[in-house]
Formats: sequence, structure tokens, C-alpha cells
Amino acid sequence: MPSVLLVVFVIQLLLHTLNTLIGGDNVNQLLWAIYIRLPTPQSDDARKTLQYGKEAQRLKREMAAVSAQDDFAKWARLRRGHDKAKEQYEKAAASQQSTRQMFNRIMSAVRWLGTQGVNFLINTYFGSTPMFWLPQGWVPYYAEWVLSCPRAPLGSISVNVWGIACGSVIAMLSEAVRATITLKQGEVIEGANKGEKLKMEAISIPPVSKNSKKEL
Amino acid sequence: MADEHEMPPSLKPVLDQKSLKWIFVGGKGGVGKTTTSCSLAVQMAKVRKSVLLISTDPAHNLSDAFGMKFGKDARPVTGVPGLSAMEIDPNGSISELISAGGDDAQQAMQGLGGVGNMFQDMAFSIPGVDEAMSFAEVLKQVKGMEYEVIIFDTAPTGHTLRFLQFPTVLEKGLEKLSQLSQQFGGMIGNLVNARGGLPNGQSFDDVLKKMEDLRDTIGEVNKQFKNADLTTFVPVLIPEFLSLYETERMIQELGSYEIDTHAMVVNQLLFPKKDNPCEQCNSRRKMQKKYLEQIDDLYGEDFNVVKMPLLVDEVRGVESISKFSEMLVTPYEAPQ
Repeated sequence: MPSVLLVVFVIQLLLHTLNTLIGGDNVNQLLWAIYIRLPTPQSDDARKTLQYGKEAQRLKREMAAVSAQDDFAKWARLRRGHDKAKEQYEKAAASQQSTRQMFNRIMSAVRWLGTQGVNFLINTYFGSTPMFWLPQGWVPYYAEWVLSCPRAPLGSISVNVWGIACGSVIAMLSEAVRATITLKQGEVIEGANKGEKLKMEAISIPPVSKNSKKEL
Repeated sequence: MADEHEMPPSLKPVLDQKSLKWIFVGGKGGVGKTTTSCSLAVQMAKVRKSVLLISTDPAHNLSDAFGMKFGKDARPVTGVPGLSAMEIDPNGSISELISAGGDDAQQAMQGLGGVGNMFQDMAFSIPGVDEAMSFAEVLKQVKGMEYEVIIFDTAPTGHTLRFLQFPTVLEKGLEKLSQLSQQFGGMIGNLVNARGGLPNGQSFDDVLKKMEDLRDTIGEVNKQFKNADLTTFVPVLIPEFLSLYETERMIQELGSYEIDTHAMVVNQLLFPKKDNPCEQCNSRRKMQKKYLEQIDDLYGEDFNVVKMPLLVDEVRGVESISKFSEMLVTPYEAPQ
């Protein structure tokens, strides 16, 4: 049994990685991509949808290559095929969309349970176990009381507080790392305005020459 | 070219299909819908007891084609026993409907003042509803009349297809209207009563009920239209690209409405003699031939493709139409 301290830290790390660094939607997308590659009924549908889409595109290209004026019969047949394939594609895509929404909902729930749920379980189970003891007299009574919230013995650090501390430190560290990378590259590395140049120069203090007058 | 699978190039199968009750004739403007529908009606009148020809094209040509005046009521065509014709305006107004055909409809609306206009606006806000209404009215009338076959000379392509969509549109619209009347019925009722009530002792409920009756009528008629034994659509086209294109589109669309098409009329074919010096005719013939081949290729298996020649004079008058109509049944033999 690994120490509870470590387990809580790892969970906090996981939470942060999944929800902030990767993002819930991306996780769902990845899982969906894996899911439709498995031998499930949905994988069949997905393949069919893709097939219809490709077929429609192929027919459209072919249709463009045939002159409607000179070869109407052939053109019209292609068009019928194209319309049919397109209709099938749209239908399949729509039905897949609903399955996918369901999948996303379930996956989000599972993810939530896997992280926040485990977190909650641990907090409940180890609620009255002291993580470690504070040296006596370091902090005043009321601070001790807060640190031992909700159920740990007075003078110790409770699992909840430890979790919060881990989360905060991880968030701050990750923020610091990302900020450092951003500054180093001189452009935004994530978010909506990705790739934009930073308005701020990298930190470099210009040398102040002794002769120059200070402007007031 | 005479493939065994190909259907005979005449409208005889349509004439012989005794179960047919509704025949639509449609196509792009200027391809000869009216001439074709008149001819078909004349031929139909020979094999059936009573035939009614209805023009729903706002630009009424029936009177022109037969050389006699037709109106809103069915009138027999002189010289063709068993055939009657009528011209209806699909853009009739809703006020006619409210007064149930009475002439004081306009007056009634004026008497209502603002409320009447509001109601009119509300009803008109449903797209295509006025056309649907008047069509439904006509269909109701027609249903009452005992005609064996009813042939529609329809307005150019778009309108026809819109009309066939009406039951769905109308259903949605009426739903909204009755919802509105439930929500605001009291308010409207108060306003109307303050002005002395609707003329002829009608109420909005009555009007709504009338509309719902119409919806039922249209729904029922639509069911018949979707029955291939009862209804068929005869596209008329000329062997030119745009006409052919529109026809293909129309046939596909009709398919999606589950309306049967199995006969088409290719009109205005040129048959210049072999040693004809007319360059224009010959090159045009060449173009027509190209499209005719395409038509045979594309539709030959599933359609009776009737080929009609372009005559030297206009097809007008009963006699001329009768002569022209013969060619719908016995294929035209081009002079060599």
C-alpha cells in the first residue's frame, strides 16, 4: 500500500493533467477514436459513414468530369448516385452524432468518477487519519483547527487540506512552466490566440549608461 | 435502339390504365404543356365517360388552345363529347374562404377593421397557404363532381412541386394557428365582440374549423396522389439541355414525394427532310438528336417516351388539337 500522501498527490496530478492540460473534450475525442476502432456496432456505422462520404465525393468529382450537355444520361445517373450517397451520408452522420453525444456524456461521467469520485472516496475514507503532524506551537490554535478540517485530530494535517495543497502547488508549478515556455518562445503556445507574438519583450533589462540623462 | 425492355413510345398505356383518376401534366414554361394536356384530355375523353381538364397556370391558356372561353366553373368543350374544362386561379385570397364563397367577403374584412387584417396577416404568414387553400377548395369541388379522370395542366415546374408539398406545410401552419387561437383566442374574441362580432355570425373557431376541414381534404387527396394506380405525372419537355435538366430534377423530386411518373412527352421535334437545304433546321435536328439519344438512354427503360413533332402551324382549336392528339397514341412517322 503506497502512502496516502503519494496517492493524493498522484490523483491531483492526474486531475490537473486531464482537465487543464489535455482538456476534457480532447480526452473524449481520443477515446472516441479508439472506441470506433474496436469491433463495436458503432465502428461499423463509422466506417459506413466514412464510406458514404467518400462515395459522394468520388461521384461529385466524376460528375464534374462529365459534360452534362454532351453526356446527359451518364451525368444524370452520376447525379442520382451522388444525391443518394449524400443523403445516406447525412443520415448516417446524424445518427452517429447522437451516439457520439451519448458516448461523450458517458465518458465525461466516467472521467469525473475516476478523478473527483476517487478523490471524494479517499477524503471520506482517510478523513480522520492524520497525514502528518505539525510541530507543536508552529501555528496558532485556529490555524491548527483549519488545517485539521474536517475530521483529523487537532494538530495534524487532514487529507482534504493535503489534497488542496497538492492541487494548488501543481497548478502553480504548471502555470510557471507554461509561462516560462511562452516567454522563451516569444509567442502564445495555447488557447484561442495561439501563435500570436507576445506584446511583452523577453525579460532583458537594458543597460543604463551613466551619461544619459534621466527624462522626467 | 428498339430494345425489348423499352416501353412503347406512346401514351396508350396511360389511356388504358383504367384506374387512373388524376393526371398531372407539367414541365418548364413554353414546352407545350397546355397543348399536351389538351391533347391528352381529348384522347382520354374517347376512352372514358367524363374527363375534366383543369388549368392551374395563372397564365390561362386553355381558352386559347380550344378557342373558347372557360372560367371558374367546369364547362363542356364543344366538339369533344365527355370533356369539360375549367381554369382556376391558384392565387385566390383567403377572404373568399372566410365568407365561404360569399361576395361580401371584402366587406366583411373591412367591417372587421384592424382585427380582420391581423387575422388575415396571421393566416397569410404561413408560406403558400393561400394557394393551398384555394387548391383545396377546388379539390373539394372537384371531388363532389363525378368525373372519371381529372387532368391538371399545371403551372411551370416550381409551382407544381410546391403544391404537392402543401399538405405538410399546411399542417404545420394550422398547428401554429390553432395554438395561437388557444392562447389569444379570448383576446381576439373580445376585440371582435367589441366591434359587433364577425359578419354572418361566424366565430374564429368556425374559421379555424373550416381550415382544419381543408387540411383533411388535402391530406386525403394527397394520399390518393401517392397511389400509383390513381395518379400519374406526365412531364413534358423539349430536347434541350435546360428542359432536360429540369425534367430530371422534377422526376427525382416527384420520386421523393412518392408520386408516380412513367410516361413523358418530348415535344417540338424537328424532322427536316433528307435533302433539306435549311442549315438551321439540320443543325438543330442534330442537337435534338443528341438529347433524344440521351433521353432514350436515361428514361427508355422506365418511361413511355412519346415523341411529338413541331408542326408548321400553331396547335389551336378543337380540330387541330384532335389531330395533334392522335400522335400521342400512334407514334409519328417522319416523312423521309
